[in-house]
Amino acid sequence: MNAFQQIIDWMPTLINATGVTIALSVTSVITALILSVFLALGKISKFKALRYPSTVYVFFFRGTPLLMQLFFIYYTLPNLIPSLTITSRFLAAFIAFSLNVAAYLAEIIRAAIQSIDKGQMEAAKSLGLSYTQAMMLVIIPQAYRRMIPPVANEFIMVLKDTSLVSVIALTDLTFQTKIIASNRASSLVYIPAMIIYLCLTGIFTIVFNRLEKKLSIYE
Amino acid sequence: MSIIRTVDLSKKFGTLEVLKDVNLEVNSKEVIAIVGPSGAGKSTYLRSLNGLEHITNGEIYIDDELFDKRVHGIPQVKLDHAKKVEMLLRMGMVFQRFNLFPHKTVLENITLAPIKVKKVKLEVARKQGIELLDRVGLSDKVDAYPSKLSGGQQQRVAIARALAMEPEIMLFDEPTSALDPELVGEVLTVMSDLAKSGMTMLVVTHEMGFAKEVADKVVFMCDGQIAEIAKPNEFFSNPQHPRAKQFLGSIL
Repeated sequence: MNAFQQIIDWMPTLINATGVTIALSVTSVITALILSVFLALGKISKFKALRYPSTVYVFFFRGTPLLMQLFFIYYTLPNLIPSLTITSRFLAAFIAFSLNVAAYLAEIIRAAIQSIDKGQMEAAKSLGLSYTQAMMLVIIPQAYRRMIPPVANEFIMVLKDTSLVSVIALTDLTFQTKIIASNRASSLVYIPAMIIYLCLTGIFTIVFNRLEKKLSIYE
Repeated sequence: MSIIRTVDLSKKFGTLEVLKDVNLEVNSKEVIAIVGPSGAGKSTYLRSLNGLEHITNGEIYIDDELFDKRVHGIPQVKLDHAKKVEMLLRMGMVFQRFNLFPHKTVLENITLAPIKVKKVKLEVARKQGIELLDRVGLSDKVDAYPSKLSGGQQQRVAIARALAMEPEIMLFDEPTSALDPELVGEVLTVMSDLAKSGMTMLVVTHEMGFAKEVADKVVFMCDGQIAEIAKPNEFFSNPQHPRAKQFLGSIL
């Protein structure tokens, strides 16, 4: 009973920290999504000037550990270029996650776009639509639905990967849990923390499933 | 005046020569059926006309205006974008696999290009769209999604979609080849009506009945070349080219 009471007492602090976890995941995935559409279009572009930078970007951000990218932005960058010093831990984490996740989402979006039957582009062109119009009005809207399952997967990974921000002392759910665990010398706090993570991933799984159903009306 | 004319049009995929010096003229209100064995280059020819395939050599004229000319794959004419689109839109294209936009309703499929490309007002485009659907016998399917329609119905929508851009000529790329046999008739009926209304049509088809009854001319292609051009009754009763005789012998 004592243990149970302890957990109840920790809850407000944990839930506060959960806000940081959610805010970081949602904002960085949304930013990454916008960035990744451009990267994906760059990767399938016939112009080298667009294709090469996108390819190098994806290669770099998928090819190095997220943890190191986080360190790099928060610690290394200010040493190299003092004007790029980021004092806000949240902002540093947000930038690192957005840039990293964009690389993964770019590949998801590229695959979804390329999975659309090429007859769709041909029909659009034969009706006089420009490449941009065909992409925005015909191809990408169809690719949305195909992107949802892998994007949901990526989002859930990000939600959990945000626990890495404890290394720059940003008080997310994981960091807060560690603080409580060491201050109170009680490892019990990992139980409610894990349950909170499970609830979060559960809620977002439901949200994405609904979204997928909603976008499937025409099938 | 010819609507479409090609001069020594050729197309290579690598070293494979799919079209060899194809010369053809389609005059206003003419219905031409292109027939021939598979691999003859019929579809490639049709797709070359509106730029879905880039030709290797030759010239394409639309209304006697040069639309494309290439030598060894290198373009020799540079039209500005607006002019190119305007000329492209004189041709309407119907595909073997319909290629309707699955995320748009039947009416949206038809109105998309008029609104976005021709800047037609929404209400005007919708009104035209409904009229076109009525013309292909699908006025009850306005708000349906393509996946809810049969293949024959989808192809009729695709025809209406192409007509919405008010082309001078309609190109049909094996429009009934992907259909179940019982659905072929409804599409051919729409095409016959279109021919009767005076539309210029270039039709790649395996439907010999259609070629015989509706076409003004039959073009027989084999090995990337036009082997014979004749009136349908002459072509079907007395083909001249040995490959045409062989082809008709194998299908009839």
